[in-house]
Amino acid sequence: MIALVPVDHFLIMTIYALLVSSFFALLWREGKRERWRLFGILLASLLLGGLAVAWLMYPFPS
Amino acid sequence: MNGVCAPAKRRPLLAAALAWFFPGLGHLYLGRRRTALFYTAIVLVTFLLGLSFEGRLYSPDRSQPLTFLATFALFGAGLPNILARLFSENPAGVILAVTYEYGCAYLLTAGLMNLLLILDAWDIAVGRKP
Repeated sequence: MIALVPVDHFLIMTIYALLVSSFFALLWREGKRERWRLFGILLASLLLGGLAVAWLMYPFPS
Repeated sequence: MNGVCAPAKRRPLLAAALAWFFPGLGHLYLGRRRTALFYTAIVLVTFLLGLSFEGRLYSPDRSQPLTFLATFALFGAGLPNILARLFSENPAGVILAVTYEYGCAYLLTAGLMNLLLILDAWDIAVGRKP
């Protein structure tokens, strides 16, 4: 079980983004096309937003 | 398309209670089988990943007021949260684990998602949402 748990930060963030995007696309939209559209927007926003924040934080020491 | 079966009138309180008890159950009661299945899968996967990431099952702590909100969010997950508290070897999580913070975020998100599902089930049952 432990071996199956990913410890890669980007992978964990991507899984999180996938789950959250799926949830809100289902909750907020009706119709297949609208749902896929919102899913794409949310997924891209979460992933690119996460990378942007990581990039901004890069100069700061841990 | 949405798995809507019967537009029969349903009791909002029961729909909300079922939605709290187990993710997706409220929507199943409302006849939305397909969306119920998706909701169950999404919330359960999020919650179980949170547990496997060794996140913390928050309990109220007076010295840390935000734990009250976190506990409320987690109890939104209903039965999975209760079972996790009963059977988890380490409900406080493993703070030294690399994935601890992720685990907390996943667990809290699962609870908050189910709280939204409770409101959604209520809205559908009272006819506010088609």
